[in-house]
Amino acid sequence: MKKCFFLLLILTAVFLEVSILNSFRIFNVKPSLLLILVVIASLSFELRWALFFCILAGALKDIFCVNIFCWNALMFALLCFLISKLSREITVDNYLVSIILVFFVVFLSDIIVRLAFAYSGKYIPLGIFLRTAFFESLYTMLVAPLVFKVVKPEFYLSPFA
Amino acid sequence: MFNLKKKSLVYLISVVLLLLFISGLVPALRDPLLNISEYPLKFLSLIKNELSGMVFYHRNFIQNERMKKEADLLKQKINNLREAALENARLKNILRFKQKSSYKVIAAAVIGRSPDSWSSMIIIDKGSSSGIRPGMAVITYLGLAGRVIETTGSVSKIMLINDPDFGVSAVVQRSRQEGLVSGTLGNYLIMRYLPKDADIKVSDLIVTSGLTGKYIKGLLIGIVVEIGDEFSGLSRYCLIKPAVSLSNIEEALIVVP
Repeated sequence: MKKCFFLLLILTAVFLEVSILNSFRIFNVKPSLLLILVVIASLSFELRWALFFCILAGALKDIFCVNIFCWNALMFALLCFLISKLSREITVDNYLVSIILVFFVVFLSDIIVRLAFAYSGKYIPLGIFLRTAFFESLYTMLVAPLVFKVVKPEFYLSPFA
Repeated sequence: MFNLKKKSLVYLISVVLLLLFISGLVPALRDPLLNISEYPLKFLSLIKNELSGMVFYHRNFIQNERMKKEADLLKQKINNLREAALENARLKNILRFKQKSSYKVIAAAVIGRSPDSWSSMIIIDKGSSSGIRPGMAVITYLGLAGRVIETTGSVSKIMLINDPDFGVSAVVQRSRQEGLVSGTLGNYLIMRYLPKDADIKVSDLIVTSGLTGKYIKGLLIGIVVEIGDEFSGLSRYCLIKPAVSLSNIEEALIVVP
């Protein structure tokens, strides 16, 4: 049941990111609901299920992106793996820590994107990159409590549900 | 008899004089009196309203509820009409542009946008079944907007000109100086590879050069807002404000070559 609910959440988040969330852009950025769900999945499910959800979320995002290669699916899987490893090393089953973790996950994903852009020869001025990365991370972190509220606390805090 | 008449006459004169005095005094006193009476009258009116409010509380409550509903309905209607008027104006512009332009264009509505912050892309409601193919230029009546990068039967993805992957050969309209315009994800585009002695000024218009054949020659891209030297010092660049408002584009025209 929880898995079906989470699947539904991923689908909803993808459609929201493509449509309505564009009306809530601040400084040309919008919150990344999918990355919040990646954090929740990584902290809540077994690694194999978390990887499944993250790859699915990334693949769905890739459908609507301009990337030919499944870039987001790969990156989400990598982030999921890192968060799972981190949750075993330190305690992140805490509301506040989870929210701060969202900030760092979004920032890390932006740095990975920037590196990939640099490798493929795409030019983004450093100022625009830093501004976008910072505001996207901050905005996503501020929106995270709302998503956590939808996905009930006992759900995301219980390890390996 | 005379005494009585005299007495009456005195009374009459007194009354007339009093009336004359009062008639002269009243206009002079009217304004101050009215000013003074304003506050007591307001107070009394307030009490009267409050009392009638208490007495007719239920009736007023019902009326208020009904009027609130009516107001909401009217607000919604006004909003719908405003939307319709704006859409009408936009479509009129597109139709006028379509009739004026010498090339064939397909009009489409924007139904989605890029899900991430690192690309600038829109999704339109027309695809290969309407004759749209990857690589076609996308314009609005204001100028160049992007190019088609992917199509399915009924939808297409458009890369907007401020995407970092976007590049188009362009010229300065006034001096015909060539350069490459690409996106920066920000509000401005960048025109690079300009020689050190390039004849370019702020407020110059930038148009497509038509060199690659993908884009029609002379499509407006934007206006120069800043000129600077590249970090290497070998060439110059300029920042361009796009002619098309990319953040709120709602309809697009796909140019069929």
